[in-house]
Amino acid sequence: MTDAAPNSHYTLERPEEAINPQSIYRDLRDNTPVASLSGRSTTGTVTITRHEDVMSALRTPELFSSDSSAVQIGNVRPLVPLQVDPPHHSKHRKALDPLFAPKQMVKYEPRVRELIRELIDEVADQGHCNFHEDIAEPLPSTIFLELLGLPVSRVDEFLALKDGIIRPPAHSLEERYEMVRATGQKIYAVLEEVVEARMAERQDDFLSTIIDAKVAGQPLSRDDVVDIGYLFFLAGLDTVSASLDCIVAYLAQNPGHRQRVADDPAVIPHAIEELLRYESPVPVVPRITTADTEMSGCPISAGTRITVLLGSANTDERVWDNPEEVDFDRESNKHLGFGGGVHRCLGSHLARMELRVALEEWHARVPDYRLADGLELRYSPGIRQVDNLELVW
Amino acid sequence: MRIRVDTELCQGHGRCYMLAPDLFEADDDGYCQPTDERTVPAELADQARRAFMNCPEDAITLTEET
Repeated sequence: MTDAAPNSHYTLERPEEAINPQSIYRDLRDNTPVASLSGRSTTGTVTITRHEDVMSALRTPELFSSDSSAVQIGNVRPLVPLQVDPPHHSKHRKALDPLFAPKQMVKYEPRVRELIRELIDEVADQGHCNFHEDIAEPLPSTIFLELLGLPVSRVDEFLALKDGIIRPPAHSLEERYEMVRATGQKIYAVLEEVVEARMAERQDDFLSTIIDAKVAGQPLSRDDVVDIGYLFFLAGLDTVSASLDCIVAYLAQNPGHRQRVADDPAVIPHAIEELLRYESPVPVVPRITTADTEMSGCPISAGTRITVLLGSANTDERVWDNPEEVDFDRESNKHLGFGGGVHRCLGSHLARMELRVALEEWHARVPDYRLADGLELRYSPGIRQVDNLELVW
Repeated sequence: MRIRVDTELCQGHGRCYMLAPDLFEADDDGYCQPTDERTVPAELADQARRAFMNCPEDAITLTEET
């Protein structure tokens, strides 16, 4: 039996709910901490909202599985390592962690700085830009395609494929499944082509490194390499863009915070962590229960899809003082912006470096900016990109 | 003051080596080191407290010596 409290007020799918979700999270935590929401894709799932329950789910992967039945993102085999549970997970993760470790990121920083400067050069003198289209989308996607080893000349095609999975323009759940499935096939085709080429001839890129990696002493199969690539494709082309959108949108609307970042670049790493907490650009991770269990006293059956609301855990007043205040000097910030537990974001150190370098360079050139007059920002549900982030200065 | 890191709980968030760079550094996989129990030099007590208060996995234990 699953006995989550029905809550018909929220779906977590409507664009208007994504603008200022913090108050929705609070309402959910206080009134229906383990909720059954009425959205198209949330129907039949259980949404958990309190920090204690979120941590508990993240820390018990044997009960709250991250396997591929937890979510529909167009793949026909589990994504590696995200949709592989322990004990197999740790072997794959161990092989991939070094690729994204902070020491490696130091090497990529000059290229990120060069690219962001070029992008800023394009817009700095015109006094306005669409920050999402001009900066936040091209920066991480170009860097990621270069790192992974996919042709940067096809960036627009790849971004469209990524959006076809993450934000398909579907009108029904059935249509959504069909769009996602068809897009998934195209992503497989792209990856299979490139992986074949790299197997024949290695280059200086992640795919080549992964092909040569050993997991528990064994080389990976071609399918394994493709399945790692599929995960990287979705994660690498979207999350840093959305994070940069959310952070700059916040700063554009809060001149005191923006001024502090512009005046003191040393505060930028702390601003990033605090805004990853408050904004939670990736607010949700999916899980599925493997056995009957309970959360906050609420029974949940085996096989229930769980929406783990990181964004709500990150603003839970049971854990944080003044959680809805953005304080770059916060003494304690145990945020789950990159998730937690064994599936914590593999690319977090790349994300942090890109965000830091982008904010350093942007504020050095354009320290004083605001939203265009009359602009109402449009946040996408799910991963929170802001595609109409029109700035003026 | 003594500090140690539970390597079973640590997931490599990296908050400790960001906030307590004189106590922790990243290993080749991005996880913190060292993890064995040790005494915190008095001048690093503030860094130790910050690391303790910012670990999302609560993997850091601090013990005040009396």
